[in-house]
Amino acid sequence: MMAADPARAWSDEQLKSEDLPKRDLITFIQENAAHSFLSEHKLLGNIKNVAKTAKKEQLIEAYNQLFESKRFKGTDVDAVTEQVQAAKISDAPKETKMEPVDEGPPKFTKTILKKGDKANFPRKGDTVSCWYTGTLEDGTVFDSNIPATAKKKKQSKPLSFKVGMGRVIRGWDEGLLRMSKGETARLEIEAEWAYGRKGLPDSKIPPNAKLIFEVELVSID
Amino acid sequence: MALELLCDVVQRCQAIKDEGFSPEDYDLFFTAGRTCIEQGNSAQVLSILVDEKNKSIVRCMGWNLLGPLVQILLKKEDRNLPHCHAILSHLLEVCSPKELLVGLLEQVEEADTGSIAETVTLLLKPLQTVLLRLGMKKASTVGMALSTLLSQVARLPVPVTKEQEEDDVFGLCHCCTALLHFVKPFVEEIKEVVKDNNRISKDNELRVELLKFCMKSLSKPLLEVKLKDPDTLLKSPLRDFATEILIILSSIGESLPDLLSRNVLKRREVPGFLEEEVRYPKESLACLSHLLFVDHIAVDIFPAVLSPIFVLKCNMEYIELLLSRTEESRLQKGLELYEKSLIRVEDNSLPVDLLELKTFFSVPQNLVKVMTLCPDQTLRTKGLKVFQLSIDKFNTEAKYKFFKGMLKTSHHAGVEGYIIKNIKNQIDFSLKPYNGNDWFLGKHLLPLLRLVLCLPHGPETDLLQNLDRIMESLNLLRYMLIRDKEWENETGIWTELYKIEDNYLKPLRTGLNMSKAHYEAELKSAKENKKISSKDSKASVCTVTVDNEKLPNMTPEMQIQVLQSAVFTFDLIEGVLARIEEIIETKERPLS
Repeated sequence: MMAADPARAWSDEQLKSEDLPKRDLITFIQENAAHSFLSEHKLLGNIKNVAKTAKKEQLIEAYNQLFESKRFKGTDVDAVTEQVQAAKISDAPKETKMEPVDEGPPKFTKTILKKGDKANFPRKGDTVSCWYTGTLEDGTVFDSNIPATAKKKKQSKPLSFKVGMGRVIRGWDEGLLRMSKGETARLEIEAEWAYGRKGLPDSKIPPNAKLIFEVELVSID
Repeated sequence: MALELLCDVVQRCQAIKDEGFSPEDYDLFFTAGRTCIEQGNSAQVLSILVDEKNKSIVRCMGWNLLGPLVQILLKKEDRNLPHCHAILSHLLEVCSPKELLVGLLEQVEEADTGSIAETVTLLLKPLQTVLLRLGMKKASTVGMALSTLLSQVARLPVPVTKEQEEDDVFGLCHCCTALLHFVKPFVEEIKEVVKDNNRISKDNELRVELLKFCMKSLSKPLLEVKLKDPDTLLKSPLRDFATEILIILSSIGESLPDLLSRNVLKRREVPGFLEEEVRYPKESLACLSHLLFVDHIAVDIFPAVLSPIFVLKCNMEYIELLLSRTEESRLQKGLELYEKSLIRVEDNSLPVDLLELKTFFSVPQNLVKVMTLCPDQTLRTKGLKVFQLSIDKFNTEAKYKFFKGMLKTSHHAGVEGYIIKNIKNQIDFSLKPYNGNDWFLGKHLLPLLRLVLCLPHGPETDLLQNLDRIMESLNLLRYMLIRDKEWENETGIWTELYKIEDNYLKPLRTGLNMSKAHYEAELKSAKENKKISSKDSKASVCTVTVDNEKLPNMTPEMQIQVLQSAVFTFDLIEGVLARIEEIIETKERPLS
């Protein structure tokens, strides 16, 4: 069963009236007409630009034509084209989504030190905030964002980032997705899901280092 | 005389009510006061100024004396110094902060290059005192002061060697250290706000001014400075300055990882978006990145959990900026940052979708410019090294796409030759057991080869200019014909061979023959001309002038040398070509 066709928004008189700005007409037509219709009538693109090039009479004519021909959205023969064109092509650079290849067992272990609420788990793309301390297997602390005194902790902020997006080492992305809000866990991450064969040159992390983190998941947004 | 005049005007003004002094009063006070100070009567001036009866006079007019006072203080004459300092302190207490600031900043602004360091050093404490008097309303004035001070300090020459930094002849190090002391109370104020409220508004005015100060410092002088590591120079004021700037940023609520990733994670719909752009100049962020990853400044406040590929993505924006400049210092920093970002990444790990990011193509193109056009040889060499490093980090599919892109866009025979050599290495790698892939074997390889095994302008291609490319492509072809057995044909080269012969080998052979014939004829005539004209004076066909100086004409000997070497080059090409033709012929001839 076909969806009901869009209804006319304005009468003929209202159309011709000066109270109806071109932009409103253009918006209506863009929202309701098939892509091919818009293309033929040169009504694609930024509303401001279309308003500059199209006269009111042309727009009224197009509007009427639309209802006569019933070439509404979804009536294009090539429905796929319709969908593709309708999808907003965003300018923002794409996130590199590295689909995890099935590599076998996870290269980290998680031990819960303090239970969380067991209800709120972060999903990919959520912003998580956490306090953490990172040590090497021999106990050397190579990184921490927990300041020495409680007073200073008030002045600092926990580390915030979007989880599951490849912005942190894999062990963290995978580990944090399995933690609930308020949980403190010990993550032991093998080199492969940390800094691998290279380690972090010029830093305290040697090649092939297994890393141990104590992480407290403070909040999820 | 002047002293009497001063006393007169002061006495007269004592009688005037409600500070209704006339412009003439101001003038007289100023002129007389200035002369007294300049003539060394500062003790007397001091006693006049501290007199309670003159309080309102001093409050209104005193700040005008700042100019002459500062000039005397800069001269550092022992005799008058204590009195002048005392005058200054008194004025700082009594006069209106706004007017004092105007006077003090004027002195800073007007300092000539030779006295910037001294003026700044002298006036920082007074400025701080005055600013702290402003209380809650100080933010924009603090900003103005910081901006003026930094602008002047940025004019000071930057030390290059470690000895220069130690000697600090022009005072940059001293000023930077002094600036840190200057901003300290303001930073502490912000830290208090953070502590009390657990957060701070992004638009808190004082915070914004401090942010501007940090960003500006990162650009000038820090981007200019080449920091020395602790092994080279144990105590480095400039390194301390850089460290402190990063710590200040962190203290006022700017997360360093967030700063780094600003350009990669742009949020377009945020209101006041443009304002954000202005607050975080890309050049300053580029310096920040270099400080973190190359100079290892403030590493302990930077989290060690970021994924190396993400860090690379963020840094590409800054590398692109630095490599698009021509100053060698910028190029050097760009190359260093690129190198450091790449070595953290595993070989063969960068995926192909990274190439959809603009920077992953624009940076190599900038790099090509450095490799081919930069006058400095060390930079060219380093550029090439980093270029190869970047190639090594791409995974196989990405390498393929990258090579294709570079062959289509670089238009430089040397670069093309280098890419072709890389392609050969990849094919060699792929032919080894367990290394097979779709990109450098089989169906995808052939379209790539078509870009390699072709003459840009058909038989008319300038073979000399394209030598690097032609030699590498012939070497590649020869390698493939020998390595890939005809009956295995893993690369598909044998089935493609007839097309290659038609589209490449035959036109090359034609071009080669033509060029050789032409140059050999030229060579012959040059040799003959030499015999003739060695007696007569040489009438040159053309002259070359550079910078209003005519270059010496090419002697006939030089000309012959050049032509000879061209002919040798053609022989080189012919050698490989002949070998290839031989291999093809042998394979095509049935074994009898």
